[in-house]
Amino acid sequence: MTYFFQLVVSGIVVGSIYALAGLGFVLIYKSSRVLNIAHGQIIAAGAFITYALTVWLKVPLYLAFFLSMGLTFFLAMSVERVFLRRLIGEPIISVIMVTIGLMSILDGLIYLTPFGTVNYSFPEFFPKTPVDFHGVSISWTQLVGVTITFLLIALFSWFFKRSTVGISMRAVSDDQLASMSVGISVPRVFGLAWALAGMSAAAAGGIIGNITGLNFETLHAFGIIVFPVVILGGLDSIIGAVVAGIIMGLIQQFAAGYLDGHWGLNGTKDVLPYVILLIILLFKPHGLFGTHEIERV
Amino acid sequence: MKHQHKWMIQVLVALILCLAMAAPSCAAEKYKLALSLAITGPTSDAGAPYSKGVEDYIRYVNDTKMFKDAVVECPIRDDQYQTDITKRNFEEFLSDGIVLYLNYSTGSTLALKKDFEEEKIPVIPASFHAGNLEDSHYIFLPIATYSSQCIGLAEYIAANNKGGTPQVAMFIHPSAFGRGPVDDLKKAIAAGLKMDMVEVVEHGKDLDNTAMLQRLLSKKVRYVICQTVQSPVATLLKDAQRLGVIAKTFGEDGKLTFVGAHYTGGNDLIELAGSAAEGFYWTTSYTLTSEPGPGTDFQLMLAKKYSRDDKTANSHNYTNGMMVAQLAVETIRRVKAKNLKVTRENLYNELNAMNGANSYSPGNTVGPVTYSPTDHAGVDTLQIYSVQKGVFKAVGKPFVPKFAK
Repeated sequence: MTYFFQLVVSGIVVGSIYALAGLGFVLIYKSSRVLNIAHGQIIAAGAFITYALTVWLKVPLYLAFFLSMGLTFFLAMSVERVFLRRLIGEPIISVIMVTIGLMSILDGLIYLTPFGTVNYSFPEFFPKTPVDFHGVSISWTQLVGVTITFLLIALFSWFFKRSTVGISMRAVSDDQLASMSVGISVPRVFGLAWALAGMSAAAAGGIIGNITGLNFETLHAFGIIVFPVVILGGLDSIIGAVVAGIIMGLIQQFAAGYLDGHWGLNGTKDVLPYVILLIILLFKPHGLFGTHEIERV
Repeated sequence: MKHQHKWMIQVLVALILCLAMAAPSCAAEKYKLALSLAITGPTSDAGAPYSKGVEDYIRYVNDTKMFKDAVVECPIRDDQYQTDITKRNFEEFLSDGIVLYLNYSTGSTLALKKDFEEEKIPVIPASFHAGNLEDSHYIFLPIATYSSQCIGLAEYIAANNKGGTPQVAMFIHPSAFGRGPVDDLKKAIAAGLKMDMVEVVEHGKDLDNTAMLQRLLSKKVRYVICQTVQSPVATLLKDAQRLGVIAKTFGEDGKLTFVGAHYTGGNDLIELAGSAAEGFYWTTSYTLTSEPGPGTDFQLMLAKKYSRDDKTANSHNYTNGMMVAQLAVETIRRVKAKNLKVTRENLYNELNAMNGANSYSPGNTVGPVTYSPTDHAGVDTLQIYSVQKGVFKAVGKPFVPKFAK
């Protein structure tokens, strides 16, 4: 039974980090219907900024973590202002193509820094001894990561449900023309959505970087790895990202724990989440919590 | 006036013609090599220091006028780990008249194998995949193959395991690079290497390996042979440390001892895994700067001469690139010593003759480079290293894996 609970804990840890990493996709899609393909690069940039602040500028880790969230807030906002603002009203495919170009630009910029080709690791801030509960262990890095993830997700959920700005962002997502007619600045909402997505990406980067070490290829790959999570959850649902993230995390851990290595099976942990994703999408094409848009003609 | 103008043009044309005709006799002889590799993109953490190793040694050769007036040219191009770009680079290098080519990845070496055969050009890749040598005459691996490395690690396990047949799992990269040694190790076991291969795990971009580690322990696995790159090994080691399953002594009962081939180790692993890397066993054919000797002194001098940072200077990938350049330059030197023209064919013949008394010791490997028409794996010797107090230290003496043949 301990083994089972260990897999549950590991699944929740992995799943909640997926959810945080996928949050950026949701925030941008929710307000602008755009898929940001360069999200992985922003995750990596966030991790590198946190490292640079902590190790090179000797800023305490917690402060560096929040500072990097602040910096990526402005970085992502600038990206939206420079590259995407002009594309408001243009076909979605054009905007997505721009984010693909943006991915290459950010790649190139990161390769100009030492982080592009050199591996780094955060200093070991947390105690090495894991938290142990009746044989079920979780490292301090994971525990802090999961706590931050849930705090941020709760904060974003509150922001979208209760705050005036959040509500105006949801309004823009529902109907841009109607939003403009009641005085909401659509460009400003888009900028804010990108900025918040950048902020969440930095948080995800900091947490993933603490777990895996700072390797650019590994970090930016998470932009793609979490894509099935947001599809499953529904592209415009924060709660969907959380639930789908945890479902994916649990499936991976149970597949690795109970299927891989038995009956000649191997690699099911990488395949099974996609199989389940396909099955769920057959019945719920907009994902578990995605908005089902009804167009009346 | 018109007549004077015409006269000046005639003088100018004559001067240009004279200079053009004189140019070949004045120009230094050039030996053209070329390197295409991943300076950006996947595996660039290995590719970047590798390229610097090649670049620095070639600069050193020219700066110290090793070939007097002749110079060695070695343009280096980034292929972003993409075979189509590698192929394009290679074709452009061919049109520049290269006589020896330095390649990088397993994928591109396998894909371009036929081109190398058609062009009859000697090639030294950074990939040590045994499959590179199948149906190939022109590929020369600088050191022991990944298969030899894994078999060497397995032999070390078999020799040092206490009690019974060692239960082993492999943790591999999901590619030809990772899968290559699996069958060769299974063949070695079938040929009498005393061990049980319990499971082969292909990793993904995993954030948590708890389930896999617990599963291996439940199957009584004691050793994990890693054939991948550093980043997934670092995550694996961190998870094993959290679960308290890393063996404190080699082969400790009820725990896991992690060992790995060339690209799993080095300072990057220690950087990424931190204290979890302690006790990790690693094999390569290169000497390390943490075990100083004449070869490593030269390496550090070279890195300092060309203003490389400490990380690059102490990287085994820098050693790797440097050694490949040394090997190419030494082959050119031997061809010239025989008063032969430096051509693809002569370089190829000279590489094939690099054995016995003609074997080559670059100084930064744990054994000599030996090739023959039937053996294109350079340094056959391996050294086991383990992380002790944050640095890789040599364990035992260099050896040649018996089952690798």
